[in-house]
Amino acid sequence: SAAAGRPWRLFGAMCLLRLPRITQPREKVEEEMAALMEQIELEKSHYSDHEIRKLEEEEQIKRKKESLYDEDEARGKAVILAKDLEEKWEQKFLQFKAAPRITDADKRNDRTSLNRKLDSNLMLLVKQKIGNQELWLLPQVEWQPGETLRSTAERAMATFLGDHIQAKVLGNAPYGIYKYKFPRAIRTENNVGAKVFFFKAFLQSSDLSQAELKADYLWVTKKELGDYLKSEYLKKVNRFLLD
Amino acid sequence: PCRAQPKKKKKVDVKKEQAQKERMKKKLKKLEKAPPELIPIEDFITPLKYSESNRVRSLPALSSEESERRVLLLKKWCLFKQKQDEAEKKAIKALVESQQEALKELRLESEELFEAAIRRDEGLFPFERAGPSYTPPLPGYDPPEGKCVDITRVYTQ
Repeated sequence: SAAAGRPWRLFGAMCLLRLPRITQPREKVEEEMAALMEQIELEKSHYSDHEIRKLEEEEQIKRKKESLYDEDEARGKAVILAKDLEEKWEQKFLQFKAAPRITDADKRNDRTSLNRKLDSNLMLLVKQKIGNQELWLLPQVEWQPGETLRSTAERAMATFLGDHIQAKVLGNAPYGIYKYKFPRAIRTENNVGAKVFFFKAFLQSSDLSQAELKADYLWVTKKELGDYLKSEYLKKVNRFLLD
Repeated sequence: PCRAQPKKKKKVDVKKEQAQKERMKKKLKKLEKAPPELIPIEDFITPLKYSESNRVRSLPALSSEESERRVLLLKKWCLFKQKQDEAEKKAIKALVESQQEALKELRLESEELFEAAIRRDEGLFPFERAGPSYTPPLPGYDPPEGKCVDITRVYTQ
């Protein structure tokens, strides 16, 4: 394959995904099914030691109220009732405050923060200059002879996010391709258009404070991609993105 | 006379000892040939104290509306899961198609890049990742201390 006279310019682009940190909310059917499963499990089960203890203590209390012959049994050690234990555990649980599922960044709709939409995938978009237009794209960089396309994509990631990014690239093969022809003004025989090959990577480090972000960037979900990408580009990108 | 008798004893003793040793060896061989004792799986044996009658739960019987509702819910669930599975399969198919198209275009461009792309990525597997939890991790949380004592019984064959 001759390097000279190749009509298509090659670009390697990286789709960097921040994987979800919390579970997605359940659908109504799923909630009902979960409740039903719990109910069936309860019906098919036997009493546990703790429940037997509770039942016996209830019996004891009832007998104490009706007749006062329990003096002999209650003498000696102070008995901790199972009911009290349960209350103690309940109190301890209520004291614990978990981190909120909807973060501040969600409320502000701050699309540059990684702490947003913790239950879905977030993708990196950067503003790049193509020709004489500033466009929002997945970070891409032109391929140079002597490197594989995967290293081109990794270089694209490093260009925009710095070298200290820990990302797991999923394999050597590209996931998708976007082919476009240059506008007639710049098109020549040797320079018909460009092919952008997309690669996918998972972001491993959750802390990007060290990243030197050199351009405008955004972290968006799959649904929000439509706000920024052009329709043809979006169609090709959507094919290799799972929800 | 004094020498002859001890000699006989030795021979007989030696023979007897040898016969004894062979018998022991045969017994050992028989024992070894027998199949090894199976290790009991503790999860599959319910301890007897849980089959006592006082353990049985007393709950009101299911009404017909309740069982009707359950059957309808199970059918809805079946349909929901089927749709979910189909959507997953469709998404995977689209993924594979997109990748095949990209590889086709790459092949048209240059063979060496294509070969580099097809090569297996050794560093990819084994791939480990912790799954999502219900709430995000709380920064600066100090979990309560405790000790865990392992009481599993280990059997040797």
